[in-house]
Amino acid sequence: MSGDAAGLVQLTDVPDLGGLYRRAIGLALRRRVTRRTVPPTLPDARHGVTGVRVDLADLTRFQQFLGSAVLDRVPSAYLHTIAFPVAMSVLARPDFPMPLLGLVHLRNEVHQDRQVGASELLDVVAWSEDLRPHAAGAQFDLVTEISVGGHRVWCGRSVYLARGIRLEPSHSRPAGEDRPAFVPPVRTGVWRLDAATGRHYAAVSGDWNPIHLSGPSARALGMKGAIAHGMYLAARMVDEAVPAPTGALSWRIDFATPVLLPGSVTTAFLAVPGGMDGGGLDGGGAAGPRTDVVGWDAKRRRPHFTGWVRAE
Amino acid sequence: MADQAGTQNAAPSPRTAVVIGGNRIPFARAGGAYAYSSNRDMLIAALDGLVARFGLQGERIGEVAAGAVLKHSRDFNLTREAVLGSALSPATPAYDLQQACATGLETVVGLSNKIKLGQIESGIAGGVDSASDAPIAVSEGLRRALLDLSRAKTTQQKIRILSKLRPRDLSPNAPGTGEPRTGLSMGEHQAITTAAWQITREAQDDLAYRSHQNLAAAFERDFFSDLMTPYRGLTRDANLRADTSLEKLATLKPVFGTGLDTPATMTAGNSTPLTDGAAVVLLGSEEYARTNNLPMLANVVDAEAAAVDFVHGEEGLLMAPVHAMPRLLERNGLTFDDFDFFEIHEAFAGTVLSSIAAWEDEDYCTRVLGLDGALGSIDRSRLNVHGSSLATGHPFAATGGRIVASLGKTLSEQGGRGLISVCAAGGQGVVAILEARN
Repeated sequence: MSGDAAGLVQLTDVPDLGGLYRRAIGLALRRRVTRRTVPPTLPDARHGVTGVRVDLADLTRFQQFLGSAVLDRVPSAYLHTIAFPVAMSVLARPDFPMPLLGLVHLRNEVHQDRQVGASELLDVVAWSEDLRPHAAGAQFDLVTEISVGGHRVWCGRSVYLARGIRLEPSHSRPAGEDRPAFVPPVRTGVWRLDAATGRHYAAVSGDWNPIHLSGPSARALGMKGAIAHGMYLAARMVDEAVPAPTGALSWRIDFATPVLLPGSVTTAFLAVPGGMDGGGLDGGGAAGPRTDVVGWDAKRRRPHFTGWVRAE
Repeated sequence: MADQAGTQNAAPSPRTAVVIGGNRIPFARAGGAYAYSSNRDMLIAALDGLVARFGLQGERIGEVAAGAVLKHSRDFNLTREAVLGSALSPATPAYDLQQACATGLETVVGLSNKIKLGQIESGIAGGVDSASDAPIAVSEGLRRALLDLSRAKTTQQKIRILSKLRPRDLSPNAPGTGEPRTGLSMGEHQAITTAAWQITREAQDDLAYRSHQNLAAAFERDFFSDLMTPYRGLTRDANLRADTSLEKLATLKPVFGTGLDTPATMTAGNSTPLTDGAAVVLLGSEEYARTNNLPMLANVVDAEAAAVDFVHGEEGLLMAPVHAMPRLLERNGLTFDDFDFFEIHEAFAGTVLSSIAAWEDEDYCTRVLGLDGALGSIDRSRLNVHGSSLATGHPFAATGGRIVASLGKTLSEQGGRGLISVCAAGGQGVVAILEARN
């Protein structure tokens, strides 16, 4: 690990997620013992890794598990998966004010300028920004950029919630938004997820967060039971909405209630002919037709997620 | 030939392809009389009945095309193997085709085109399916392990592969009727469409009732005597309920659409059951029929396939024929009024009624199909006059052959034009025109 004046911390390799989770647990315990609080400001540091290679065998397993075609084109969600440990390493910094374990993943928005091939060398950089109040605590963005040969090809923004964190009084605290009652659309499909879905996705993504692996490990962290990875839902959403992207691709997913495993997610994919304008991250973005997606629990009539995918 | 009414938009056919005759075995309910017959067995049975009827033993047919929807991997050459097991000349070439429930009709279209082009003089088209003798696959985990194992060179490699197996890998995978891309069964998909078109339970039960009545009447007057060969003790379609009534149908519990907000209307009575069976059609050029002193029931005029995007909710899974129909009619300069018989495959009563409702809907026809107005109405007294899949059952790939042979005979008896519409999995559909020869 080496730093420079601009706050870029160059890592020698993509970090190991298991190690990051262990470090986060240690950090949380130390903070609890020492009752030391970290001021609620985000570190300026950016973490980067250059020359990341896509492992073809790993990619194949990911594609097969998601039901995507096994092609040399790297799925948009898999680019997130490759870069995810770099982003996590930002959250595992000792000076990061919020505990990594217990963060709630609210949203992902991705803009991809072009499709990425499996043989391309990827440079990843990630940082956190925009700490702001949320009705239930504080939220911030975790931004990840992937470049090839100096040109940005993929940019993702994940929004996380840290419950119960109060920001300085200068931050005005937004009132809790009254959500309109959820009206399920006409379904177009169903995902039947077995109990092992979390373990399988952990194996193909490397994200072994205990809340996804088993009932006991999830309950130990305050969940009702094992829940599906948000990125698993996102990956399926993107792939099923646009199975064969050829150019720019933008998508967004907003998580509502977690998907308990085993369980069924009823889905609605709806092609919107004209699409809406804007919506792209950081300007630009794919400007083609948009597919709106909703995933919900048909029995309890509760949404799991809403999202959209737009291909150029 | 397609004559006065049209063909101004269709390219003129160099030759005419005619339906000479057909043969099928009675359709059995899954697990019934054909529980231990394979696809190959049933296809040979249907072929041999056709051979016997038209004296084709030892003859080299131009080509045989058939298929099955539920197919074992060992049956990669199913049709050729059936030809080799039949009384046809072993010099008869064959190919397999698969377009889900449109398989049978598509084989008729393909071979008719070859006849029209002069590539072959005769052809046998058809299909077969067994829901009883369905292939069962091992789990993905076990399958991958077995394939890896066959490539492993050392004992250590083999042990490593086997150690990855888990008990769950030992449970088999049976084929389902679920759409791979949506996870919904065909019935669940149709339930969405049925609800969207507000098709009532009563209308669906009425269609099912008529199907049984029409099929029973056709058997009563021996309509199928030269279209069917008994097999394994069956002389009639086992699914036929000649004594069913609207009251009986009304007592059945809904099986599809129970999770929707609208009332569930689709029952086992107004949906097709899983069925075993086979059907084939003998096609030929006019010259072939004349030379061999064979009957010419009807001409195969034209056909059109369509597909729809059901994955993203733009259209119902089984609505593709609705899109194919106006294109076919336009090309041939025809309207519904130019037809005397309609054969709309009864995958579900809701499918037939949703299709008819769509063609009658001005808003839908202009907005979705891009027409100037509603496509038109279909005279129900001319619809599926000898029964259809709700009564006969529906061995997926065999249905096209059943319909073409029955409609061909109907046209030879009563004259006029006939229109066929068959929906298929994957959001596909094929429609076709047959025409009497006088």
